[in-house]
Order: sequence, then structure tokens, then C-alpha cells
Amino acid sequence: MKYLIEKFGKINTSVLFLCIIFLVLELIGHRHGETSIEDILFFPAFFGYVSCIVIFKIGVSLRSFLMKDEDYYDK
Amino acid sequence: MISSFPPGLIMMIGALLIPFLPHIIRQIYMMVLILVSAYALTLGFGTHSKIDVMDIEFIIFQSDSLTLPFAIIFHIAAILNVIYGAHEKHWNQHVAIMSYSGAAIAAVHAGDLFTLFIWWEATAFTSVFLILASKTERSYKSAFRYILIQVGSGMFLLAGAILLMSETGSAEFRNFDINSLYGQLIFIAFGIKAAFPLLNGWLQDSYPEASEIGTVALSTFTTKLAIFCFAKSFAGTEILIIIGAIMTFYPIFFAVIENDLRRVLTYSLNNQLGFMIVAIGIGTELAINGAVAHAFAHILYKGLLFMGMGAVLYRVGTCKASELGGLFKFMPITAICTIIGAISISAFPLFSGFVAKSLIMSALGKEGLVFVYFMLLFASAGVLHHSGIKIPFFAFFAHESGIKTKEAPLNMIIAMIIASTLCILIGVFPSYFYEILPYQIQYQPYDFSHVVGQLQLLTFAAFAFICLWHFKIYPPELNSTVLNSDWIYRKMIPGVLLPLLNLINNINKKIEQLIGFMFMYVRKFFANTMIKNKVFDREVGQDTLIVVQLFIIYLIFIFVWKIYL
Repeated sequence: MKYLIEKFGKINTSVLFLCIIFLVLELIGHRHGETSIEDILFFPAFFGYVSCIVIFKIGVSLRSFLMKDEDYYDK
Repeated sequence: MISSFPPGLIMMIGALLIPFLPHIIRQIYMMVLILVSAYALTLGFGTHSKIDVMDIEFIIFQSDSLTLPFAIIFHIAAILNVIYGAHEKHWNQHVAIMSYSGAAIAAVHAGDLFTLFIWWEATAFTSVFLILASKTERSYKSAFRYILIQVGSGMFLLAGAILLMSETGSAEFRNFDINSLYGQLIFIAFGIKAAFPLLNGWLQDSYPEASEIGTVALSTFTTKLAIFCFAKSFAGTEILIIIGAIMTFYPIFFAVIENDLRRVLTYSLNNQLGFMIVAIGIGTELAINGAVAHAFAHILYKGLLFMGMGAVLYRVGTCKASELGGLFKFMPITAICTIIGAISISAFPLFSGFVAKSLIMSALGKEGLVFVYFMLLFASAGVLHHSGIKIPFFAFFAHESGIKTKEAPLNMIIAMIIASTLCILIGVFPSYFYEILPYQIQYQPYDFSHVVGQLQLLTFAAFAFICLWHFKIYPPELNSTVLNSDWIYRKMIPGVLLPLLNLINNINKKIEQLIGFMFMYVRKFFANTMIKNKVFDREVGQDTLIVVQLFIIYLIFIFVWKIYL
């Protein structure tokens, strides 16, 4: 615990623990989604993590042609 | 008397007196105006007032179950705007905000398209002053583009209204068929104001250029008025599901790379409008309730986020992520309120975003629209990324920027605390919130599946961001301009049009030279063949002139002869 806080900081470690708690909650109760795919174990967790990475990756790749100088429109 | 006066109109008329009042009295006066306007909401549903002008019936005050929630939130937002802008001593923005809020409130009570058109344009003409209030070269140019586009949307609305009137004999503001020409014109008008894909450039162009007070007001009314209009006129129009899904999806990527945090919020606004548009496209009672609930909640949490960034802009003078950071210790209350706004927009349980968004997601699930459902779920993770984390993190935490400042003015803090409280109250007591929605439905957002599923989605998305940041994969924010659809009319069209105009100009000059040359040649030819000692030389010409003169005298003589003799 102490190692984690030193390594990742208090907030990051707290988020990590919350993630674990919400995974455990699914094992205790029965979660079902709006669609059948969501019924797969830990699906929202997986979807949330992957979505965030995909958004980041696409966003970064768009930088090369969408990002221009700050005075681009003033030239 | 009051029953025939549409809500909002009193605010517009009352705004004319604002410049003549001293500061403190002005603030109290504006509050009174809003409360008097809100009194009209207690009159119940139905048509309360109409006037006949040139055989056209203007229904200026009509209310129903859809009008009420929008009218309530518009009044609340108007009060929050007055409190938030109380530090501003000059009257110009207060007049603009009061008349802008009044025009939007009057617009939702319009019962026909001509009345709607008047208020539609009034929102444009009053709100543009909030962009001009920044008094920068960029804001002047942006305001010019903004007013052109807003008035343009009004022209589509007017054309649709006239066509509807000529075809059906009535311009009643009701449900329209998208397959008719008037329906399409009205659809485009609403679509421009709702910032549809490729029509959205004005939103990201203008809102971040407005003053810190102006952006809060702008984020409330214009786009939500469009949402109201869609809910009233195009509920159940399937194409809205596709358009809305695209709207939720693509602004996320722009928001991720945008550096100006107020501009990030405008992309986020666009994304949230997408949720509402999808719900209107579904058109079921649950979905329409979802759209209205989302608009209601969104006005509060998006206003709160803009207030937070406005406070930062007011104190620090910039909202660029690359220049901010570490402001939490100087502006803790602003930071906490912004975090509440961020948690609300991310739809964490016990906050307003959750109880509103759940309605839309459930409506999608019930209709079996699986693909769109997952697009919106993906967008939900994106919202957390750009609004839930990026906004508070880069402004108040991230790296130490070295900026030393102080907490926001008291009036700003009060407005932010009220908005934060409302975000929490709506989240904690959803049943009271659901009672003001258009349809009475039984819906329980807080069940085990909803709560655990949403918490897993959001915490793991947050954890992904933490991983990217901690392992230094997340790139630094850079001072930049991110290209958006406004590039089409700011760069592409001038880029194509100007060379084209130059080309036409050059061709014109060449043709001019050619004609001149040909004329000279012809003149020379005739001079050589006909004048020099030939047919039209001087002597022959003089003789001809004498003959012509004699002939005219002869004609006059004949003329006089015929008349008098």
C-alpha cells in the first residue's frame, strides 16, 4: 500500500482501489446491461479503459494534420 | 394583464432601463425582472395570448408540458447569469444578457413560426454583443461570422414558415414532416443552431471569444433553444439518431487535442447536444424525457464548467491548458465547483448527468439500437476524458505553472455554489426532477446494474488516463489552433475564391485589351476606306448635312400644314 502511494501518488492509488472495489461489487451482485453484450463479466470496465485509450490514440494521430500554429487564421 | 404578456418579453423591454440604473439597484432590478417573467409560468398550459397583424395570427404565448421544463431552466440560468456577472460594472453586457435570456424564453413560448422567427433572430442580435464584449480583434471577426450564420439560420426558418403558410394556410409551430420542403428548410434552420456536424464551426469559433460572463450565458440559450425546437417539431425523425450519434462521437477527438479549455468545453457542448438529438430522434416518451432532462441538467453543469473557466480567465487572463496548472491552492472553491461540474457531466451516480443520461441510454436499449448505444457509451468515456478530467486537471493540478492569483470574486463563487448544489440535488432526488419532464413515467435510475456498470466504465476510463499521464505517454498541451468545420469558410473558400476572382480579373483585362485593339483596328480601317478623300470626306459631309437640314424643314412644314390647314 505504502509502496503504491509512493510510486503512484494518493489520488492515483485511490482510483486504482476504487476500480478494484467496483469489480468486486460485480462479483457480489448480479449486474445486467441494456444490451446482452454488456452482460459479459467486467464489460463496462473493459469498455471504459479501451475507449479512453482509443480516444487518446486517435486524438494524438489527428494532431499532425488538425493542429496548426496559434496564429493560423490571423496570417 | 400579466396573462397576456409572454414570459421573457418583460425581460427584453425591462432591459432598456438597465443603462440608467446604478450598479447595485441594477442587479436587484434584473432579479425582479426575471421573477416577474417567471410568474407567467404559473398560468398553466394552453394558449394565453395571440395577436393579429395583417391577417397573420401571431401566437405569442403558448405553453405545454414541453415548454415548462425549458422555461424553468432558462429562468434559473438567467438568475445564475445575473449573479455570476454582478462584478461587471458596465451596463452593456447586462443589457445583452437580460434581453438575450428574455428572447430565448419568449421563443420557447411561441405558438407559430413567425413569432418564433422574431425571437430566433432576437437571440442572435442580442447575444452577439457578448462576443463583442471581449473587445479584441479576434472577437470582432468572430462576432461578424457568428451573426452571419445565426441570421442565416433565421432565413431558412422564415423561408420554411412562408412555404408552410402558403401550403397549409397556417404557420403553427407543431410537428413537421421532414419529407416536405418546408420541413427541410425548418430542419436546416434548427440544425444550424443545434451545431450539427459541419454546421458546428460557429460554436467553437465564437463562444470561446466571448467575455467570461458572456460564454456562460451563450452556453445556456442558443443551442438549447434549438433542442427545444427539434423536440417540438421533429420528435421521432429517424435521421436525427444518425446525426446525433455522429455529434456525440467526433467532437471528442477535437476536444482531446484542443488547448484552450473554454474551446474544449464547446466541443463537449457539441457532444452533449448529440445525446439530446439522438433521444429526440428516438421519439418515445422515455427518450423525449431523456432529451429534456439532459438539456436541463446540461445547462447547469455546462454553465458551471464555463463559470469555473470564466473565473480562471478573469483572474489569470488565459484559459490555455499549456499555460495553466497548480491553481487549486489559489482558487480552491472554484476548483471544487469545477470538479462538481466535471463529475456531473461525466454522469457519476448521485450527480445530475447520471439521472439524465440514464433515461437516454435506457431508451436506446429498449429500442434495440445497439450500435448507437455503444457509440454513446464510447462518447460517455470520451466526456470523462475531456470534460471530466482534462478541464479540472489542467487548470487546477497538472504541473506547477508558477501563476499566483486569488480566489474568484464572491458573486462568481455564489453562482458556482448554487449551480453545484443544483447538480447534486438533481442527482440525489431524481424523482422530483422527473416530475417536471413532459411525460409522467416510472423510471428508477439507481439500480445495481446501472450504478455498478457506470462506475466501472468511468473509473476504468479515469484509470486509463492516469496510466497515460503517469507513464508520460500523454503528450504536452501546445499553443495551437485546431482546425474545425469553420475552416471551410475561413480558409478553404477564400483560398479557392480569391485565386478564382484573380483569374476572372486577369481574363477580363485580357478581353478588354483585345476589344480595345479590335476597336482601334476597325476605326483605322474605316478611316482609311471611307473618310480620307473618299465617301465621308469633309465636303461630301457638309453637302449631306445641308440636304438633311432641308429635309427636316420640309417635314416640319408638312407637320404644321396637316395640323392647321
